[in-house]
Amino acid sequence: MNPIRDAWQSIFRRDPLSTDKGKSEFVFLNVWLHIHPAKVKKDNLKVKHTFYLGFITFFLFLILVTSGVALMFYYRPHPPQAYQDMKDLQFVVYLGSFLRNMHRWSAHGMVICVFLHMCRVFYTGSYKRPRQFNWVIGVVLFLLTLGLSFTGYLLPWDQLAFWAITVGTNIGSYAPLVGARVRELLLGGHTVAESALLRFYVLHVAVLPALVTLLTMVHFWRVRKDGGLSRPVWKLKDRQSPELVAIGGAESNAPLAAATASQDKTYGLMEVVTGKPIFETVGMDEEEDAVFSYPYAFFREGIALLATVTTVMAVSLFWQAPLEEMANPAKTPNPAKAPWYFLGLQELVSHSALLGGVIVPALAVLALIAIPYVDLNPSRRPADRKWAIRAFTVFVVVNIVLIVVGTFFRGPGWTLVAPWAHLAGAE
Amino acid sequence: MERRLPQFFFALSLVALVLMLGAVWQAAAPSWKTYQEEFHRLESVGEPNAAAKSDVLNAALVIRQDLLPGLQRVDRCTTCHLGVEDPTMKNAPQPFSFHANLAPHIPAKFGCTVCHGGQGLATDQQNAHGRVAFWQEPLLPREYIRASCGRCHKEGEVPGVPELTDGRRLFESQGCRGCHKLNGVGGTVGPDLTEEGAVHRAPGWLERHFLDPNTVSRNSPMPNFHFTKEQARALTFYMLSLTNEQMGTYYSSVRLIPSAGYGRQLFVEKNCIACHNIGGVGAKNGPDLLGVAKQHSPGWLDEQLVNPQLIYPGSSMPDYDLETNSRKALIAFMASATAEDAQTILAQRSKPLTAEDAAIEAGKQSFSRFGCVGCHGLELQGGVPNPNSQGGEVPSLLHASDDYTKEEVVKIIQNGKVPPVDNPSKPAAPLYMPPWKSVLTDEDIHRIADYLWSLQKKKDAW
Repeated sequence: MNPIRDAWQSIFRRDPLSTDKGKSEFVFLNVWLHIHPAKVKKDNLKVKHTFYLGFITFFLFLILVTSGVALMFYYRPHPPQAYQDMKDLQFVVYLGSFLRNMHRWSAHGMVICVFLHMCRVFYTGSYKRPRQFNWVIGVVLFLLTLGLSFTGYLLPWDQLAFWAITVGTNIGSYAPLVGARVRELLLGGHTVAESALLRFYVLHVAVLPALVTLLTMVHFWRVRKDGGLSRPVWKLKDRQSPELVAIGGAESNAPLAAATASQDKTYGLMEVVTGKPIFETVGMDEEEDAVFSYPYAFFREGIALLATVTTVMAVSLFWQAPLEEMANPAKTPNPAKAPWYFLGLQELVSHSALLGGVIVPALAVLALIAIPYVDLNPSRRPADRKWAIRAFTVFVVVNIVLIVVGTFFRGPGWTLVAPWAHLAGAE
Repeated sequence: MERRLPQFFFALSLVALVLMLGAVWQAAAPSWKTYQEEFHRLESVGEPNAAAKSDVLNAALVIRQDLLPGLQRVDRCTTCHLGVEDPTMKNAPQPFSFHANLAPHIPAKFGCTVCHGGQGLATDQQNAHGRVAFWQEPLLPREYIRASCGRCHKEGEVPGVPELTDGRRLFESQGCRGCHKLNGVGGTVGPDLTEEGAVHRAPGWLERHFLDPNTVSRNSPMPNFHFTKEQARALTFYMLSLTNEQMGTYYSSVRLIPSAGYGRQLFVEKNCIACHNIGGVGAKNGPDLLGVAKQHSPGWLDEQLVNPQLIYPGSSMPDYDLETNSRKALIAFMASATAEDAQTILAQRSKPLTAEDAAIEAGKQSFSRFGCVGCHGLELQGGVPNPNSQGGEVPSLLHASDDYTKEEVVKIIQNGKVPPVDNPSKPAAPLYMPPWKSVLTDEDIHRIADYLWSLQKKKDAW
């Protein structure tokens, strides 16, 4: 009897990893890993397919939760203590600056990665049947990420925070009928003050993270239930590819007709569910491509995690999170700017408040949600969906251009200035 | 590739570890710890006892801070400036040297930054001295530090800081209030100066501005008053003291320093000379006050002032209901007063005015108190340049009664007046008459008008 080995085996109840059974059990006997299948398709792991952007976003979220909880120990959501606590983090808390830097830079990184992840999913056509609703959840998660970043922006209670939130919430108030009310509800008053800070804090540390966690779980679970990651576009042979097998009511579309279903292997509850489930199936010829999640997927994911963590740490070591003077409602900076990801919106608002602040963004969000239900072209091959790709590219480029203009080319009074004007000492 | 995955994974783990150590290293050696170690070495030099010496050398390195809720600040300056209250550190190099003449302003009660400026919360030199972006209160240059006395001592004379008193006097006598608001009273032509010391905490800028407004603030409508260097310095001191910050009860209780000078002022105001005399000069109804401070303790004198009946029942001295600082000031004056003082006080006592003259005098005082003289001149001669207004300068008021009726003048003071332009294609004249009806009562305005008319009468009498 070896008590240590017994204890070990009571925790990890699986065969040795050298066996195929052990490799499978490593996945499905582990509560944390069993969202993975035991085997994954080798091509799906390729970096050039997903760039691991979904994973990176999730890892950034983990960093944010961890560093955020640590920061909560030092933070009091009430002015002027909130600002003093920032100074204390900087000057007296052990690793305080590093902690705050990591939180700040991860937050910006998460906004960027969520957006890039969305682009990747669009360009590979991965929102198409059966993954339509997971795209919708993804859009909601994107909006929640913006909400998290926006609520967190106010918490340092410096000039940057105060005026960014003032401008940001003003943009929201342009919505007809409800705008002003929603703003008042969010701020707990008519201006950004103590109650706004408390409300943003509660949203930032409790409400929004809980929602993001829940929806992320659903998002992951649906990825698995929809047959894992979509196949890389270069694996789609041609227009007639029997990629998708659908059951029941689906209109007889090309894939179903072309499929010789009996030769395919499906993973599902064969004995219980009659017919074929709605998810991608693997043709016999592709079966050869499948590899065990351990070690192929897990090491790659581990590398993605470490790459994310090291990048954030390196950035946090060398670049300080900004902190300006304490918030002063009597002293408006010129120009007062919203957080960078809303500067495209602010740019639009500067031309037309109602159109730019309400109608265009509302339509943009609705259009994003509607994409999988409007784009009925079943093919995912880029060659078959040129117009969809062009349209989305225009959307992305316009967004980026607006944000760049708002960030770098707008000076006092929201006039156009060259970004290097302040360097030349024009003032 | 697959074979390399674990290698890659562990290599990245190593990078993560190195970065973690980097962060720890960055956080482990803050400069204040180095300073404290150096200070401990400095302290241990003169220590003969070996055990005590090692105690000093191995003393814990801790952040020291003065929590000052009454001044709304936390000062950590003494974390590095360890010798501030240690006279043996008189000749020690900075940041350890002793602060001479500190009492009664000890760090525990006042901190450092309220006088010196800087960022009290910071624990490294650059940040603490406030010479960083987004900190509006850097250390004040040595010659301006005394201006901070005026942050608490807002009234009366501050010993050793004549600039503050001069600045305050200049501000009121030169009519700055005509254009600038201060604590809610004043014109609207220039910026409100209530928080000027917090907004423009730049003594060099302020001083150059007073010498010639246009050199630092181009096209400023503020006329050049041709102040001397001393006057500009005094006004700069006064501006730096205007921070309008919230202060705890203790700090606001010392608005007035109970100095002998203030005591003398009270002595005149309360007309003490009507009963008392100093060294025989004055009235003989009450006791001679010469040397009274030598015969009695300050406590005794204070009690006497609080309740004159307590020690001498039936005393004819009234109870003046003076506050603590006023009593202290009077006692300080009595300790220093001489017969010559009494002589000058007696000489300055003016005859009571007639009711009419008193009203005109009140008008004159309002005229200067609300800053009318800033633009219209101390002698009402006008002449402050006002480009593109008709005549090119602010009008003289000596002939107001020739051109206007009294009612018209009252209307102009109430509602203000924008001067008619000379050339409509050029920008409007920078100076204008602000409306005063929200600041001045109708009575005040009528008195000012009466004052203007009284000058006219004087001229006619010629």
